[in-house]
Amino acid sequence: QNILIVCFSVGYSAVALNHVIDFKEKKQEIIKPVSPSELFPSLPIVQGTSKRIKVLTRLTLVVSDPSHCNLLRSTSANIRLYDVIAVYPKTEKLFHIACTTLDVDLVCINVTEKLPFYFRRPPVNMAIDRGIYFELLYTPAIKDSTMRRYTISNAISLMQICKGKNIVISSAAERPLELRGPYDVANLGLLFGLSESEAKAAVSTNCRATMLHGETRKTACGVVYTVKKPRKVEEEEATMPACKKAKTQA
Amino acid sequence: AEAPVAAFERRVLRSAAPHHYLRVRLELPDGGARPNAAQFKQLVVSALRELHGEVGAALPVDLLTYEEKTLSAILRVISSGLVKLWSALTLLGFYQNRRCAFRVLQTSPFLLALSGNSRELVL
Repeated sequence: QNILIVCFSVGYSAVALNHVIDFKEKKQEIIKPVSPSELFPSLPIVQGTSKRIKVLTRLTLVVSDPSHCNLLRSTSANIRLYDVIAVYPKTEKLFHIACTTLDVDLVCINVTEKLPFYFRRPPVNMAIDRGIYFELLYTPAIKDSTMRRYTISNAISLMQICKGKNIVISSAAERPLELRGPYDVANLGLLFGLSESEAKAAVSTNCRATMLHGETRKTACGVVYTVKKPRKVEEEEATMPACKKAKTQA
Repeated sequence: AEAPVAAFERRVLRSAAPHHYLRVRLELPDGGARPNAAQFKQLVVSALRELHGEVGAALPVDLLTYEEKTLSAILRVISSGLVKLWSALTLLGFYQNRRCAFRVLQTSPFLLALSGNSRELVL
């Protein structure tokens, strides 16, 4: 709860609380997320506007086996309660599956150790087309200097493949002191190789797009659209002169 | 009679300011000894050295004002070194094995702009 108070004072307008599920352990059940209204009876107002700060809930699935992905397809009621779903693939095959077919909003990129696989362009491009964002964490970089190197090297290799599009930078803060302000985080994006506008977007526009992606995933079941049929005008015009001709001839 | 031709000269300068100024605050929640000005400068230089190495530590950074009570300071850095300094301050986590955090309150190429903060306006 203290972390959230610091978030508000530093200047964020929407916060997502993360819940991590690791499938290596035997029995894992998806529990209901903590509802934000339990933590704060009334949320403070964003500085400068008149809207309240949003607190969302988010689920991260650590997958190391293709069978773990079945959980996403199952219609477990508790999954639907989360606003944003993220997946953390551990192998190259799972990364490919996550980018192309899985129904998630974010793909987390490991920053704490050397990546076991290299990024390839086809799955990354497909993910960008589908509207899936890649997530980088910055809190390990504050804690440990070895992790700093891995964070920067993994981020740079991701930038080379995706050219800076669809990136979200987020913190995995467990203490209020590990949080940094939004402009500080945008500056970190510059370190990773993003351009200035892309770095700012990584903290603001892309995050908002992820939230909307989660909302559409929760609510949309099917789409109905109408198509305008081209009207058959030429045939009518063709028949008219033929009749006239017939009359005059007769 | 013709109107007099106005003579003027137009100069367009892109990022002409040579220095950038940062107002920062160090957050040390535990009630230990507070750093004085020299130790604060040492902390900034060591943060630069940790992230950007010797070249980063050699970046000309000046500590213009320092208040020990609130642990807030105004730093001046060459404009080309702003990204390095800011990222080094962001990623600093420990001061003498105590957890700490740097909060950058304002940044501007002009020192006068740091005098007023619209975020602290009480409406």
